Amino acid sequence: MEVQINKQDNVTTVELIGRLDTPASAEVSKALEPVAADAAGTIILDCKDLEYISSSGLRIFLVLRKAAAAQGGKVIVKSINKDIRNVFMMTGFLNLFQIED
Amino acid sequence: MLVVVAAATLEITGLIQYYFSQRGIREEATHRAESQLELTKLKIIDIVDQTEVAVHNSLWLAQWALTLPDSLWAVSRRMVEENPVIVGSTIALVPGYDKKHPLFSPYCFQAPGETAIRVSSLATEEYDYPSQEWFTKPLELGEGYWSEPYVDEGGGDILMTTYSVPVQDYSGKTAAVLTADISLEWLTDLVSSTRVYPNSSNSVVSRSGKPMVEPDSLMTDEKVHVFTGTVDKTGWTMTITIPDSEIFGSIRQVGFVVIILQLLGLAMIILILRSAARGQKRYKELNDRKERMENELQIARKIQMSMIPKIFPPFPERKDLDMSATIVPAKEVGGDLYDFYIRDEKLIFCIGDVSGKGIPASLVMAVTRSLFRTVSAHEDSPAKIIKTMNDSMAEVNELNMFVTFFIGILDLSSGHLRYCNAGHNAPLILTDAKHYLPVESNLPLGIMGGFNYVEQETDMAFDDAIFLYTDGLTEAENINHELFGEDRMNAVLSARRGSDAHMEAVKAAVAEFVGEAPQSDDLTMLFIHYLKGSENQQKERRLEMCNDISEIARLSDFMQEIADEKGLDTSLAASLNLALEEAVTNVIMYAYPEGKKGKVELEAILRDGSIVFVLKDSGTPFDPTAAPEADITLSAEERKIGGLGIFLVRKIMDSVHYVRLDGKNILSMTKNI
Repeated sequence: MEVQINKQDNVTTVELIGRLDTPASAEVSKALEPVAADAAGTIILDCKDLEYISSSGLRIFLVLRKAAAAQGGKVIVKSINKDIRNVFMMTGFLNLFQIED
Repeated sequence: MLVVVAAATLEITGLIQYYFSQRGIREEATHRAESQLELTKLKIIDIVDQTEVAVHNSLWLAQWALTLPDSLWAVSRRMVEENPVIVGSTIALVPGYDKKHPLFSPYCFQAPGETAIRVSSLATEEYDYPSQEWFTKPLELGEGYWSEPYVDEGGGDILMTTYSVPVQDYSGKTAAVLTADISLEWLTDLVSSTRVYPNSSNSVVSRSGKPMVEPDSLMTDEKVHVFTGTVDKTGWTMTITIPDSEIFGSIRQVGFVVIILQLLGLAMIILILRSAARGQKRYKELNDRKERMENELQIARKIQMSMIPKIFPPFPERKDLDMSATIVPAKEVGGDLYDFYIRDEKLIFCIGDVSGKGIPASLVMAVTRSLFRTVSAHEDSPAKIIKTMNDSMAEVNELNMFVTFFIGILDLSSGHLRYCNAGHNAPLILTDAKHYLPVESNLPLGIMGGFNYVEQETDMAFDDAIFLYTDGLTEAENINHELFGEDRMNAVLSARRGSDAHMEAVKAAVAEFVGEAPQSDDLTMLFIHYLKGSENQQKERRLEMCNDISEIARLSDFMQEIADEKGLDTSLAASLNLALEEAVTNVIMYAYPEGKKGKVELEAILRDGSIVFVLKDSGTPFDPTAAPEADITLSAEERKIGGLGIFLVRKIMDSVHYVRLDGKNILSMTKNI
């Protein structure tokens, strides 16, 4: 699991690469702590290379979403594959996030 | 307060009602009096007219007779003779008109009660007819005149009146007065016989106020209502006097009765309110009692449900058997039952339906179930078990309740099935060709002691299934009172499925069919899928992990192998991987105390239409299926961070069951494919 964070002006792009399963979620969560702390702008979670997500991964998404909402920022989830979209649908996450292709 | 308002409303209503009634009655009295006046007037006018017409019709004769004054006798005689109302008549010559008779007035009359007509002359000195009113007035007026009533001394003291008209001779000179006397007795009769109220009084006075018909009772100083009407021609005025009490007496009486009734009504309202208050108390007591009974029923339901095995798969270790069952009582408690257990490698199972429903049936059900367990514990012959149960139940069956019952004993190693039926409907055998198991009907339990039941047998092969049910299934009614029936049941059971999926499919079909209709009977189904020999047909895979989160990677590989073996598409594989990860993570994180090493076993049983995953651990007892479902409709702010894991497991798998067995948590997850 690899995480690449790229901040330009007000937009933070987070590239998630690989499988965001339970073991991976601990390090991803840690890596995203600074992003959550500075969430007043726009956070783009780029998922084009995210293969899989478990509930612990969904938790990270939700934590970011809450942090952004608290600081006046927003979270955009980009390019999720159809399996992840299915998980988002089952869990109601489709309604919680701005989803972009 | 309520009472005061009720009383006020009642009284005001009463007053309004009284007011309108009074007005109505006053109108009614006026109407009656005026009608009576009008009617009486008409009758008077009728007689008056008759008289006038008779007189006027005789004028020509009188005129003619003037030339021969002696013939005037005939004229007056004819008047009396031909007109029944006229009792006397004269033609009185104007004094000096005839030289021969300075005064001439031949008078013919009929005395009361006589038919003969008498004659006399009114031209006497003492009578002096030219000074009489009946003579002077018509001459003075030049027209007919009705005299003031008078009492005729000569004619039996009868009140009379006279109509008189002037008579001109052919030259136009007024020559005489022609008269007709009428008795006013008819008037007295007419007026006094037509009273508008029993105590009302009628009277008639003449033009000058002389009483013609006396009022018959002297009025006290009581308030009276007076109505009058005048006959123009004669100047008679009729008066109807009605005492106030006569008109309004009844309504006052009614009003009084109404007030009394209203007071009574008020008293009743108070009584009703008081008894309602008491009723409410009683209602509350009843309600409390009802609640208590409902609570007790709920407890009874729990006890009853605890008597039957409800955990499926019931034998997760056994690869040769897959079972599912359901029982849905129509009321809190019911009379259906099923039961099963394994003894000596034999599956001993039964299904039954107690006659009736509710509590009585549930008690019999409990007895039946206990007997089944006790008797079958040491007996391998279904017929002997049933016979013993029947004898025992028939002996003490005072209420004549009975139980249709079916017992099967399946030798799990050989597939040999011995069974005995006691009046229950035949189970279905689901093989490649579906058919009913041939059964002797015998007799239901409890009807006749000493009955010898016939035992039957058959053999089951791998993948054969037996479906047992009570008539609550086939006789489930929809709102149009149509029955679910065997055709629908057979249609649903045609598909080959895992036992759980089968059960769910039948339940769904029944629910869809029944719709809003209330459940009429207990519904019970038992599905037994025999899978002995599955070693060749079904594959098992096993993964042993420790309670370390890094094991998730191995789980992922394990799932991949299964997906490859079963040829699952990647999406399904990803979903199953997710569900397994969530379930396993749950165990790794929470089953064992911090820092303690523990085992996590996962087994996958791969069948034709399903994969069953059985997850076991020896950690603290924990039932993940008991956790509340995550609410996915909440907004981001409201959403809880956790709780999604087991939610996803349930969402992805077709059935999830937990059982604590032999110190282990066992979570069975089935996915139909």
